[in-house]
Amino acid sequence: MELNPIITVNDLHFSYPKQSVLEGIDFTLNRGEIVSLLGPNGCGKSTLIRLILKLIHPSQGEIWLDNKTIDRYSHREIAKHIAYIPQYNNVPFNYSVLEMVMMGRVAKHGFFAAPSARDKEVAHESLCRIGIDDLAHRPFGQLSGGQKQMVLLARALTQEVNTFIMDEPVSGLDYGNQIRLLELISDLARQGYTFLKTTHYPDHALMVSSRVVVMNGGKIIANGKPEEVITSTMIREVYGINADLITHNTNTWCIPTFNKGIV
Amino acid sequence: MLRFKTFSILSSAMMVLLLIMVVSLLWGQYPIDFHTFMGYLEFKLMGGTGNDTYTLLDNIILQIRLPRVLLAILIGSSLAVSGAAFQAMFVNPLVSPGILGVLAGASFGAALGMLISEQWYVVQLLAFVFGFVAVGVAVLIGGMVSNSRSTIMLVLGGVISGSLFTALLSVIKYMADPYSTLPAIVYWLMGSLTMADLHGVLMVSIPMLLSIAGMVALSKYFDLLSLGDEEAKALGVNVPLIRFLAIILATLASSLSVVMAGMIGWVGLIIPHIIRMAFGPSHRLLIPLSAIVGAIFLLLADTVSRLAMSVEIPIGILTSLIGIPVFIIVLKNARAAWN
Repeated sequence: MELNPIITVNDLHFSYPKQSVLEGIDFTLNRGEIVSLLGPNGCGKSTLIRLILKLIHPSQGEIWLDNKTIDRYSHREIAKHIAYIPQYNNVPFNYSVLEMVMMGRVAKHGFFAAPSARDKEVAHESLCRIGIDDLAHRPFGQLSGGQKQMVLLARALTQEVNTFIMDEPVSGLDYGNQIRLLELISDLARQGYTFLKTTHYPDHALMVSSRVVVMNGGKIIANGKPEEVITSTMIREVYGINADLITHNTNTWCIPTFNKGIV
Repeated sequence: MLRFKTFSILSSAMMVLLLIMVVSLLWGQYPIDFHTFMGYLEFKLMGGTGNDTYTLLDNIILQIRLPRVLLAILIGSSLAVSGAAFQAMFVNPLVSPGILGVLAGASFGAALGMLISEQWYVVQLLAFVFGFVAVGVAVLIGGMVSNSRSTIMLVLGGVISGSLFTALLSVIKYMADPYSTLPAIVYWLMGSLTMADLHGVLMVSIPMLLSIAGMVALSKYFDLLSLGDEEAKALGVNVPLIRFLAIILATLASSLSVVMAGMIGWVGLIIPHIIRMAFGPSHRLLIPLSAIVGAIFLLLADTVSRLAMSVEIPIGILTSLIGIPVFIIVLKNARAAWN
């Protein structure tokens, strides 16, 4: 298979005044991949995502999107290539689901142009594809965490781009919604979307990824097929706990060693 | 269908405003009946002059009532729209021109202008500059104390900024001539529409209407900015540009209201809240509707105060008296949406 890079990151460094966060990241996201970024808290996963979206600026290195470096794009142009699905958070104003989803269309309009009937149509189509069109007129703030995440995914669909970046998509969701969201991601990937997502769960990375990138201390320490990268040794090195990798029904699962009764 | 709904809400509100405007023009110490008014209107539209009855009406309507009515409309609109814009810009439903210290800053600027210059444009310019400085101080203090985006910290920053400029204003008052400038400053600050003259109102209406129109034009971005900076940027919005434009326009509109009629509080806080409770938070309706409802509110308050009492209460005091209880109700109802 010929690789078709969408995003390429070369020797990327980022630091806050007193603390270095990323120390030389080289990374490529190819068309059609589902890449999971795995690593402990503070390893720089979210920082890498924010750099790719040009929300913060690197202290060294460059990021290529298609054939240009990211600093030659406006946010509007980036939004025409990449849809970002943040962790859902509270909005002080209680927009309806439809209003929320239609906000995904802003990069498509002229500067002062009002949303059109076409935008509303696309919003409804997107909600239908996620299977939540019945929520369209509900207030966003009153939805469950799982529903909110689905709405944000529908909003990403309205951007009509092929690349989705998700920051810990399952955080705060209950067990059923976590699995349903992962199924949805894998379903969309089959339809041709490319995903870059961060995750805290090795199991989730094993379930839905074509490639896993493990970060620790601001560096990439492993990069490859999920089953090859997620090993007992890696889990011990990165998370400091023991775990076994077990194959069940052709899927591989990561089972941590859990000591009960230590007083 | 959505657009039809928006259109019908806006045009109904506009009808109400026109109705109150006519009532306000006719009612007063010298009542004018509707029939005479229509005759007068027809006479004026035909370009007639020299009729004695109508000369009297000219004085009452054109010279006395119309400037005041127009000023109430302009100021009510400016304050309500600025309030809604500030609330979206700072992702904070508790801010307004008053809370952020803009009114205090602009008052200081205008008073300073009155002290050092006779020129009207100096007063306007200084009001705008210090209104802008006051927002800056509020944001700076709010951000210094806590680096995260905090609703309460920004409100406290605004309280501090407002106090600072109120203190500076006291210095100006202390230095002002106690027989001429001081009473002028004090009376003007209480908030009054009585000083309105047609020429002044028309002059100030240009920048005010432009600011309001600008904020209406930007209103679709206000929805996005209220999601937070990073989300708005990722969706493709030029956040620094939109925020800069909106803050400039909101500060300009509310500072000019201070120049024209002193400190009129609470309008910018309560009107957007009431509309949000009734019609939802979408800024494409909220911003233009705030303009109309703000105008209705202030015109109604001014008309009632003019008619109901033998002694006129300054409008700024009246809006506070109405605004505070309304805001308490709003606070109680809206709390759920903020958490």
